[in-house]
Amino acid sequence: MRDGPANRAGKLAALALIAIWSGLPILIVVLSSFKPPREILAFPPKLLFSPTFETYRALIVRWPEFFDAVRNSLIVTTGATLLTVVATTLAGYVYARVRSRKLAASAFLMIVIRMVPPIVVTLPLFPVVNWLRLNDTHTVLILLYATFFVSLNTWIMKAFIDQIPIELEEAAIIDGAGVWQILRHVIVPLAAQGMIAASTFVLIFSWNEFLFAFIFTTTEAKTAPLILSEMVGAVDGVEWGVLFAAATLQLLPILIFVIAVQKYVIAGMTAGSLKG
Amino acid sequence: MTAMPTRVAHAIMVAPVQILLILVIGLPSLWVLWLSLHTTSFCQAPVFVGLANYATVLADPYFWHALVNTFVVVNVVVYVELIAALAMATLFASGVPFRRTMISIILAPYAVSEVVAVVIWKYMLEPDVGLISGLIALVGLPELAWTTDRWSALTLVSLLSIWLHLPFSFLILYSALLGVPKELYESAAIDGANAWHRFTRITVPILMPAILVALMFRYVFAFRLFAEVWLLTGGGPARQTEVLATYLYRHAFRYQEFGVASAIGWLMVVGTLLIAAVYLREMYKRMLTADA
Repeated sequence: MRDGPANRAGKLAALALIAIWSGLPILIVVLSSFKPPREILAFPPKLLFSPTFETYRALIVRWPEFFDAVRNSLIVTTGATLLTVVATTLAGYVYARVRSRKLAASAFLMIVIRMVPPIVVTLPLFPVVNWLRLNDTHTVLILLYATFFVSLNTWIMKAFIDQIPIELEEAAIIDGAGVWQILRHVIVPLAAQGMIAASTFVLIFSWNEFLFAFIFTTTEAKTAPLILSEMVGAVDGVEWGVLFAAATLQLLPILIFVIAVQKYVIAGMTAGSLKG
Repeated sequence: MTAMPTRVAHAIMVAPVQILLILVIGLPSLWVLWLSLHTTSFCQAPVFVGLANYATVLADPYFWHALVNTFVVVNVVVYVELIAALAMATLFASGVPFRRTMISIILAPYAVSEVVAVVIWKYMLEPDVGLISGLIALVGLPELAWTTDRWSALTLVSLLSIWLHLPFSFLILYSALLGVPKELYESAAIDGANAWHRFTRITVPILMPAILVALMFRYVFAFRLFAEVWLLTGGGPARQTEVLATYLYRHAFRYQEFGVASAIGWLMVVGTLLIAAVYLREMYKRMLTADA
């Protein structure tokens, strides 16, 4: 269907509104972080300014712990993502290839378990984590983040592995390959796209998560969002410039990542919600 | 590994996922039920109290306050998102310029953490300097007194939540809409159906399954709302803006009332399962009666 000129102008206006709503808030923060501190609070905002790294220098001097927190975030995110991808590729393979009543029942339970609000499990886990001396460690966050995504990701992996022709496996069996060899040489290379799709969700979640980090870390394992929340609530008033610098450092890498893998994000979202 | 029977190998492959789910979510959820029937605090032997914790919660006016706040915010967020997502998906399905770039921009808030979203929106509403507060002043409206007024604060919480989650609702509906055959619309256009008729008679009915799934997921996730409220208002002023999750947090980790907190926790689990009941029944039918 072709658009007339009026229709086309209407569409462009709608697109502009959508872009302002979604993009402008992010753009403001990122751009403001490169402004000299005096110009950040100017209104109307200055569109032209000579970029500086003053706010970033202030961040390094005043909040050195932010950079430790970024390191913690990197460790926790990597750990949770690897654990999830390995565990759910294995499980997704079995759910794709094996039909049994027991597996179907466990798959259904996985969907039910996905409904439990995260804050609920913190109640019994809090004393247990303390008793195991796991509080304020990377391990506890890795386990929590991974667990809250294994059910969705098993489903995504199953959806992707379902599409790999079973004949390839049968050929490998004739060649004498065992289950593990089939998994390694047939499934993993062909399910790589699914593994990327599945890993994006847990990766984004782990990088941004607040609640579990807030409850289970105190000093050593604090993640970047936690330090950011402390900066927002700093007693001596919010220093917007420093805050923008930290927010930009936390946000920009994951934003670039999401845009780079957007194809997989979309594929995973639809596989994960519509098909199960 | 040559001699491992296939069945054993399969069991080993499924084990990590199952163990994580059972140990980290399954057993703790059941344990919360047990805790909710006892009074406990740190280093104290639990004492069985029956439903006393539930009675305490249900008699607490702050609980009802938090429940009303949650109910209002969740419904506003979910339906505003749905309407916006439907409109955007319809617009995009009709063909737009810069499609790929626009989808990247729409997707962008999905990458933003709750904390950074709070930073962004707090700044935009900062009196005298923020873009939104500036616009509000320009139009001559009174400023959004979100630090002192309950409904202003909840409005801000809702806006923030919509902003963060619109990409999800949009993508679900848009990808469902891409599956609709173009011929349907073309023949409807030939029959003289106008845009509104095409939307209500073709788009909405065909999208209904996707709409229901998107709604269910958004209900379930919006119901957990914690960080936005905690970081913006902390539930204040005077506990006016608490939602269920912040109410639970306060009772567990501020007042050390784990029994009471568990009662709320279990109520949240039951509430979520009720929201998801229709979807879960559908899944149950599909998974356990169809192909097994």
